[in-house]
Amino acid sequence: MTAQAQGTKAPWSRILVQKDVLAGLFLIAVALLGLWLSRDYQIGTALRMGTGYVPRLLCWVLLGLGVIVLLQGLRAGAAEFGPFAEFWWRPFVFVPLSLLAFVYSIESLGAIIASALLIAVGAFAGRDMRPLEVVATAAILIGLCWAIFIWGLGLPLSVWPEW
Amino acid sequence: MGEFFSNLAIGFGVALTPVNLLFALIGCLVGTLIGVLPGIGSVATVAMLLPLTFYLEPVSGLIMLAGIFYGAQYGGSTTAILVNLPGETSSVVTCIDGHQMARQGRAGPALATAALASLFAGCIATTLIALFSPPLAKVGQSFGSPEYFSLMVLGLIAAVVLAHGSVVKAIAMVILGLLLGLVGTDGQTGGERFTFGLTILSDGIGFVPLAVGVFGVGEIIANLMSPQQGRSIVGDRIKELWPSRADFRLAWPAAVRGTAVGSILGVLPGGGATLSSFAAYVVEKKLARDPSRFGRGAIEGVAGPEAANNAGAQSSFIPMLTLGIPGNAVMALMIGALTIHGIQPGPQVMTERPTLFWGMVASMWIGNLILVIINLPLIGIWVQLLRVPYRLLYLAILLFSAIGVYTVNNSAFEVLLTALFGVAGYIFLKLEMEPAPMLLGFVLGPLMEENLRRAMRISGGDPMIFIERPISLGLLIAAFILLILVALPMIRAKREEAFQEG
Repeated sequence: MTAQAQGTKAPWSRILVQKDVLAGLFLIAVALLGLWLSRDYQIGTALRMGTGYVPRLLCWVLLGLGVIVLLQGLRAGAAEFGPFAEFWWRPFVFVPLSLLAFVYSIESLGAIIASALLIAVGAFAGRDMRPLEVVATAAILIGLCWAIFIWGLGLPLSVWPEW
Repeated sequence: MGEFFSNLAIGFGVALTPVNLLFALIGCLVGTLIGVLPGIGSVATVAMLLPLTFYLEPVSGLIMLAGIFYGAQYGGSTTAILVNLPGETSSVVTCIDGHQMARQGRAGPALATAALASLFAGCIATTLIALFSPPLAKVGQSFGSPEYFSLMVLGLIAAVVLAHGSVVKAIAMVILGLLLGLVGTDGQTGGERFTFGLTILSDGIGFVPLAVGVFGVGEIIANLMSPQQGRSIVGDRIKELWPSRADFRLAWPAAVRGTAVGSILGVLPGGGATLSSFAAYVVEKKLARDPSRFGRGAIEGVAGPEAANNAGAQSSFIPMLTLGIPGNAVMALMIGALTIHGIQPGPQVMTERPTLFWGMVASMWIGNLILVIINLPLIGIWVQLLRVPYRLLYLAILLFSAIGVYTVNNSAFEVLLTALFGVAGYIFLKLEMEPAPMLLGFVLGPLMEENLRRAMRISGGDPMIFIERPISLGLLIAAFILLILVALPMIRAKREEAFQEG
């Protein structure tokens, strides 16, 4: 975990990229965001708690915990590999995008097209994807979903585009 | 005693109806399926199928969801033994000796032992639930708001302490969950919190998008980044299924011990299947006459943990059903399911809806039986399914997630939230921030705030009420002790050691 080069101080970037440091920063950021968002909420008293009482209290606690985690991370020194060493941008981008494709097409274009779009976009997230396989998978899955959700359970999903 | 039998009679009366038998079967099948397939866990699946239970009777829906939960334990053992891949975290331990047994040509006995040990544990656990729930619920009924608040605090702290990883980070995740749970309209004052002015958020964040996003989609993103590992599946033809007499003699005491371990640890918040199976393995290794056999195909290394994880999974229902306190992420979702059916979780569930309660309990016993019956013959199918490459599987999971989330409220917005939580879930995974405590906090958040407010109203704004009331004080002291224990370096070392055994 601590692989510091002999005789040299660990560079800031190495320390920053350590998971506890990042986690601590994340928590602090969320806590500060929460405190800022709730800045106008009524706090009230313990007896009559306002809208902001419990949220702000929790944000302060979260802030404190975030600082502790950050300090723990800094104390642990530089990491050999950052937590995102294996990062590959494709899944990170295309998995959420596939869901977005679904979101923006389900209501206007119906479930079948939305599902096809989800699979089409989502396919870019994978390794060694072969187009024919994806098409076949799409056909099977869409058929399966139709059978289960629309025919089997009778859910009120619009299947085809509303033209 | 008479009450015990009459309760079970009510339960079986409900559980044995064709509809409920069907849903138990569906739940067990789906559960086994996802337990077998790595890359999709029971939390995400229960969250995804939860919306479908809206169209059913509450008891049928819960039976199905419960079936998924303990069915996954069975499925996970199958992959652990045959492929050395744990389909569920609780099956990690089974990989150790189970896969070795498979390599030695003893896959059949390993699988059979796992199934039988689980069946035994399931029956015992169900009996324990039937025995201990009524007195526990009675205790719960005497709880007022201060006691409830302290109980929830204890539950959250215990869940954090017994769980994996850094306690500080886990508590922070609980707080994060609490905050997310408070998004929306404040019931008391009518004020909007953290809604960014969007009306769509005034009812709060749904727990389905949160759970499916963080547990399901996040895992998909992470899995797609790590290089695919080749899977070597052992035993294309499984010869004898039945364990030998020698096997039996070693296995059954281990199963009994595992059941005991699982039943106790399962009831504790943060306990449940995973912790129980780990603990049982440690127990078996310590008690064995020849510990060097472990790791090389010792049958007790399969029987003990398998019994424990099933007992643990089922007894984790106890605090949820009797007190409304979830011990793990799946239980938190079950509470969500109850709430959506308009059922307030808590000790009154048993008295107000005995058919629901006892029906569920009886169904668990039936579910165990179903699992043994369907699993052993269907192993061939499960093995074939494992050959489906993940690059196709993840598309299926994504699509089911999207549709599942959408159908909750016919809301595309919630699918959007799922995408966001998916990204967050990936980040949490990489930064080792446990998502389960967050889900627990999320479900309990609004309840805790309500109890806190009521407690303050009772006491006139005096926080001392939590300490003045004896039960509440006791619960808070227990929480405090747990925190201290975890901070002590000696216990800390033991804890890390225990987690490294897997």
